[in-house]
Amino acid sequence: MKKEMRKEYTIALVAVGLGLLAGALLMLVTGNNPILGFIYLISGGLMNIERIGNTLATATPLIFTGLSVAFAFKTGLFNIGGAGQMLIGGLCATVIGLTLNWPKPLLLTVIIIASALGGALWGLVPGWLKAKFNVHEVVCTIMMNWIAYWSVYYIIPAYFKGAYLETESRRIPEAASLKVGWLTDLFRGSYINLGFFLAIIAVVVIAYILERTTLGYELKAVGLNRYAAEYAGIQSNRNIILSMMIAGACAGLGGAAFYVGYASNMQIGVLPSQGFDGVAVSLLGANSPWGVFMAAIFFGVLHSGKGFMNAMTQVPPEIADSIIATIIYFSATSVLIEKYWGRLQKRLAEKEKTGPPLVAEEEIKEKVGGAS
Amino acid sequence: MVKKVLVVLVILVVAALILFNVGEKTGVLKKGRLKIGMVTDAGTIDDKSFNQGTWEGVKQAGEDLGLEIKYLKPAGTTEADYMKEIGNLYDAGFKFIVCPGFKFETAIFQAQDKYPDAKFVIIDGNPHAGDYVPVVKENTVSIFFAEHESGFVAGVATALQLKEGELGYIGGMEIPAVQKFNWGFQQGVKYANENLGTKMVIRPENVIYQGSFDNVAAGQQLAAQMYDRGVKAIFAAAGGVGIGAINEAKSRMKAGEEVWVIGVDVDQYAEGIYDGEKSIILTSAMKQIKKATYDMIKFETEGKFPGGQILTFDATNDGVGIPENNPNLSAAVESKVAEVYAKLKSGEIVVADVQGDLIR
Amino acid sequence: MEYVVEMLKIRKEFPGVVANDDITLQLKPGEIHALLGENGAGKSTLMSILFGLYQPDAGMIKVRGQEVKINDPNVANELGIGMVHQHFKLVHNFTVTENIMLGMEMTKGLVINHTAAAEKIRELSKRYGLNVDPDAKIEDISVGMQQRVEIMKMLYRDAEVLIFDEPTSVLTPQEINDLIGIMRNLAKEGKSIILITHKLKEIKAIADRCTVIRRGRVVGTVEVASTSEEEMARMMVGREIRFAVEKTQREAGAVVLQVENLSALNNRKVMGLKNFSLQVRAGEILGLAGVEGNGQAELVEVITGLRKAEDGRVMLKGTDITNLSVRERIRMGMSHIPSDRHKHGLILDYTLEENMILKIYDEPPYAEKGLLNRETIRKHTERVMQEFDVRSGQGSLALARSLSGGNQQKAIVGREIDIDPDLLIAVQPTRGLDVGAIEYIHKRIVEQRDKGKAVLLVSLELDEILTLSDRIAVIYNGELIGIVEAQATNEQEIGLMMAGVQRGETA
Repeated sequence: MKKEMRKEYTIALVAVGLGLLAGALLMLVTGNNPILGFIYLISGGLMNIERIGNTLATATPLIFTGLSVAFAFKTGLFNIGGAGQMLIGGLCATVIGLTLNWPKPLLLTVIIIASALGGALWGLVPGWLKAKFNVHEVVCTIMMNWIAYWSVYYIIPAYFKGAYLETESRRIPEAASLKVGWLTDLFRGSYINLGFFLAIIAVVVIAYILERTTLGYELKAVGLNRYAAEYAGIQSNRNIILSMMIAGACAGLGGAAFYVGYASNMQIGVLPSQGFDGVAVSLLGANSPWGVFMAAIFFGVLHSGKGFMNAMTQVPPEIADSIIATIIYFSATSVLIEKYWGRLQKRLAEKEKTGPPLVAEEEIKEKVGGAS
Repeated sequence: MVKKVLVVLVILVVAALILFNVGEKTGVLKKGRLKIGMVTDAGTIDDKSFNQGTWEGVKQAGEDLGLEIKYLKPAGTTEADYMKEIGNLYDAGFKFIVCPGFKFETAIFQAQDKYPDAKFVIIDGNPHAGDYVPVVKENTVSIFFAEHESGFVAGVATALQLKEGELGYIGGMEIPAVQKFNWGFQQGVKYANENLGTKMVIRPENVIYQGSFDNVAAGQQLAAQMYDRGVKAIFAAAGGVGIGAINEAKSRMKAGEEVWVIGVDVDQYAEGIYDGEKSIILTSAMKQIKKATYDMIKFETEGKFPGGQILTFDATNDGVGIPENNPNLSAAVESKVAEVYAKLKSGEIVVADVQGDLIR
Repeated sequence: MEYVVEMLKIRKEFPGVVANDDITLQLKPGEIHALLGENGAGKSTLMSILFGLYQPDAGMIKVRGQEVKINDPNVANELGIGMVHQHFKLVHNFTVTENIMLGMEMTKGLVINHTAAAEKIRELSKRYGLNVDPDAKIEDISVGMQQRVEIMKMLYRDAEVLIFDEPTSVLTPQEINDLIGIMRNLAKEGKSIILITHKLKEIKAIADRCTVIRRGRVVGTVEVASTSEEEMARMMVGREIRFAVEKTQREAGAVVLQVENLSALNNRKVMGLKNFSLQVRAGEILGLAGVEGNGQAELVEVITGLRKAEDGRVMLKGTDITNLSVRERIRMGMSHIPSDRHKHGLILDYTLEENMILKIYDEPPYAEKGLLNRETIRKHTERVMQEFDVRSGQGSLALARSLSGGNQQKAIVGREIDIDPDLLIAVQPTRGLDVGAIEYIHKRIVEQRDKGKAVLLVSLELDEILTLSDRIAVIYNGELIGIVEAQATNEQEIGLMMAGVQRGETA
C-alpha cells in the first residue's frame, strides 16, 4: 500500500517536472529567461499573504471539480460535466442568495445544501441514463453542460438581472456570500472564502467514503471490475447513479464556491473552465482525494501567478496562457508516465537489482501470460 | 498520506519564502518612469473592437511619450479575476491602468481605494460598489461614449447610400452600449426615411442579440439567414459574432451578391476586404476609444489628469461618428451625413438613448 | 548441431527471491520438450529470459550453438523463437489474415497485399494441418481456432522454436486432441517445441523429454516414455501425490437445488439453454459435463441470478428464487466459484482483504453502520488464508493481481466455502492449476459434500467430473442429454453423450 502511494507520488512529481520543463522550453523559444519566468510565476502565486489567499481561492473550485472527476472515475465513469454541474450549483446558490433574506449562518447552510443537490441532480440524469439505457456518460454530461448553460442564460436575465445589465445577476448580498470579513482581512483583502474550508471538508469526506465505508467499497468494486461486483451481488446500476450524484454534488459545491464565494454575481454565457480543468487536476492527483487537493493548489499557483509573470517579463499574455496550459497538460500525462513506469523500474532493477520486483513481475505476467 | 501532504506543503512554503525576497527586490528595481498597464476585457487583444481600440491608444501614447506599456489578460471575467490582474500590474510598477468595459466597474471601485497612488481609467463604466451608485475617486476617470449618436450617424449614412431595401441588426450581449448602438441606428434610419427621402425597412425579426461576443459561427449563421430574407446590410455590434457576419458578407460578395455590413467601435473597413481594395464594410459606427485612451495618458503626463470626473465622448467633442474616409459611400452621401452630424453637434437633432417605441 | 536452444546455468534473482538458480534447459531440434513445475517454480521467469523480457544475472543462452544476448522480444523473434501465449493477443474484429499480418504487412506499394498473405496462410495451414480459415473474423471462430491462429502467427514469422504456454487450459477435450496432433506435425516438420504445463497426462501423451523445476532449481530432465506420471508428479511437488480423491459412499439427502424447465438466452440473444431440469441433493456432488459453450455458462448464470430466465424456475431449499437478486440468493446460502477468476472471481486491483469480503462486506462484524471494520476484515482474511493455504508475499494486503493463479483460485475457493453455503456451485474450480493445488481444492470440495452440502460441479475436464461426482449430468446444445451414476459409467460413455449422443442409442 505504502509502496503504491510512493509510486503515485513520484509519478505526479515527475509529471509536474515534465510540465515545467515543457513550459521552460516554450519560454526559451519565445526568447525569455525560464528561470526568471518561473520565479515570477511562483512568487506571483505565493509572494505575500494576499496572493496566497488568492491562490487558494483560485484552487477552491478546482478542488471540487477535481474531486468530482476523481470520484466518478473510481466507479469507472468519466464525468466531463463538471462545468454544467458547477453552473447549476452556482445557480441554486445565486437564486437562494438573491431570494431569501435570512441570517447568514442559516442562509449559507441552505445555499450549500441546495448547490450540492443541484449538482447531484445534474449528475443523476447522466447516471440514470447510463445505468438504464447504457447511454455513454461523456456524451450525456456534455449535453447536460449545455442545458445548464442555457438554463442560466434564461433564468438569470429573466428573474435576477442587475439593475442595468442583462448579462449578469444582481450582486450577491453579504449574507449569502461565502466571503467572510475575518478571512478576507486575515489574507489582506484576498478572495479566499469559506469555500476553501468547505473544499477541505469535502476532500476529507470523499476520502473517508472511499476508504472506510461500504458505499466506497461498492463504488470502487463497480469501477474496478463491474462483472465481479455483479457476481458478488452489488447492484452496479445503483452505484453508477449514486456515484454520478456524488460527483455532481462535489462539482455543484464548486459552483457555490465559485459563484457566491470567489465571484460576487453570476454571469451568463460562460461555461466555467474549472469544470474541464477538473479532469487535469484529477489526472495529476492520481484520482485520490488528497492528490486532487495538492494538484488543485498547484494549478491555483499557476493560474494566479501567471499574471505577475506576465507583468514582470516580456512574455505576451497569449504565450503565457500557452505556457500554463502546457504545464497543466503535461502534468496531466501522469497516466502515460505510469505506463512507462514499469518499464523504467524494470530497467533500474536490471541494473541495480534493488528495485521492487512487484511491478516488474506484473509486467511479465501481462506479457507472458502468467505461465507459472 | 499526511506525510505526503506535509512534504509538498513544506516545499511550497520554502519556495515561497525564497521567492518572496526576489519578488520584493525586483519590485523595487523598476520604479521611476510612468508605466502604463491595461487589463483586457473578455476576448482577445486583437478583437478589432474594444480591447484593440484601447490598446492602440495605449501603444500610441507609449510611442509618442516614451512610456513602458503592458497588457494583461485575466483568466475569467469576475471581479476577482480583474482585481488579480490589476494587482499584478500594480506590483510590477504599472501605476496607470486602463480597463475597457463595464465589467470592470466593481473592480475599479475597489482598486481606486486599495491602490491610492495609482491612476485608473475605466471605459464604458462607472466605479460602484455593486449598487450602481457611481463613486469616482480622485485617482479615477470614467469614460462614456454616446453610442446612440454613433449608431444614428451610421444609420443615416447607410440609408442614404442604399436608398431602399431592408436592414438588419446583430448585437452581442444585450448590454447598454450594444443596445444604444441599436436604438441609435434605428433612429438614424427613421430620420433618413422621414427627412431625406429614403425607403429603408427594419423588420423586428431582423433585430437580434446573439448572446455572446465570441461565437463567430453563430454570427455567420445569423447573417446568412438575414441575407436570405432579403436584408441588404447588417449593422453588427457584436465583437467576434460580428466577424462571423463579415465573413458571410465577404463570401456572398465574392459570389456576386450585393450585401453589406456596418462595422462597429473602430473603422472595420480593413476587416471587410475581400478582393484587392474592395471591402464589404459600408461604413462603421465608431467610438474614438483610441483617442480617449491616448488623451487620458497624455493628460497624466502633463499633470492634467481629470481625476474624479465622468467624461462623455459624443458628437460635440467628435468622440463618436463614422470614419473620415468611407470608400463605399458616395461623396454626396458623405457630405449629407456631415450636415446631419453638424445638426447633432449643435443639438438640433437629439438622439434618444432609451428604447422607447423602437424594436427591442 | 545437437541442440537448437541451450539455456546454461541460468540464474535470476529478484530482491529476496532467487527465481532461477543454475537452471539448464537444452532443446533438441524437432523435439517436444515439456517444462513442468508448480506455480511460482520459476517457469515463467525462465521463459521470460528466453523471450528477452529479462536479462539473466548469470549463465548463457546459445541458439544453434551460437551464444546470443536476447535484449528484447524482437531479438527473440529474429532468432526464430515464438511464443503462443495463454491469453491470446488477437484483434477481435479483424480477420485471421489481418491478425497474422499485423506488424509485418506485405505491401504492394502502399496497398496491403491481402491475397498474397492469405495464400501463404492457406499453404501453411495445409502443411501443418492447422485448418485455419484466413478470411474468418476472430470474433466468429472458436477458442481452439484462435489458438491455431496464434500458432500460425509464429509460423508465418518463420519461428523454429515454439513456446506453448499452458496451451490446453482453454480447450475442450476434442480440441486438445487436435492440438496434440498439430504439435506432433510441427515436430515432424522439424520445429522444436517447449511446452509449459502442469498436466502430466498431456506430457505423457506428447512430450519427448521433460524438465522438472521446483523452487527455481532443476529437479531433473527425464525421458517421458520411461517415466511414470506419478514419478513426474513427485519430482514436481517433492512428495507423493494421490490422484484418486478419497471419497466414502454417502446417502444423498433432501433436494437443495431444483431447476425446472429452465430456458434462457445466451449472449447472442439465441436460446442457449432449453427446457433444462436438474436436481442437486444435500450430500452429493452433481457433475455437469459438456463441451464448452453448450449452455453451462447460461445455466450457472441463471441459477446464480446473473442472467434472466426466459422460462421455468429455480428453487433453492424449496423456495422459488427465480426472480430474486444475486444478493438475496447469496444470503440464502448459495455460493459460486466462477469459471473466470479474473473476470468474475476477483477484483484484481483490490487487496486480498478486500476480495475476501466481496460478498460479506456489508454484514457485521465486517461492517457496521456502513463503515468497514478493517481490523475484523484482516483477521478474517488471515484466517481464511491460513485455512486454505493461500500464499502471498505481502500477506493480506497484497493486491489480488500479484498472486499466482493457484493462490488466486485458492483464495476464491476459500472465500466461497467459508460462507458455509448449502449449495456450492463450482465452475472449473481447478482451471490452469498445478496438481498440488488441484488435489487440495478437490479435497475441499469433497469435504463440503461430506458435511452434507449440495455441490454442483461444472467442468470441462472429464477426469475432474469422473473423480469427484456422485452423479453426472451431461449438457449438449443447451439441453440435458442425460444423468448417470458416476460409478456406473466411464469416459467413453460420457464422451459420447457430450457429443450429443443419447444414452443407449449406441449400445
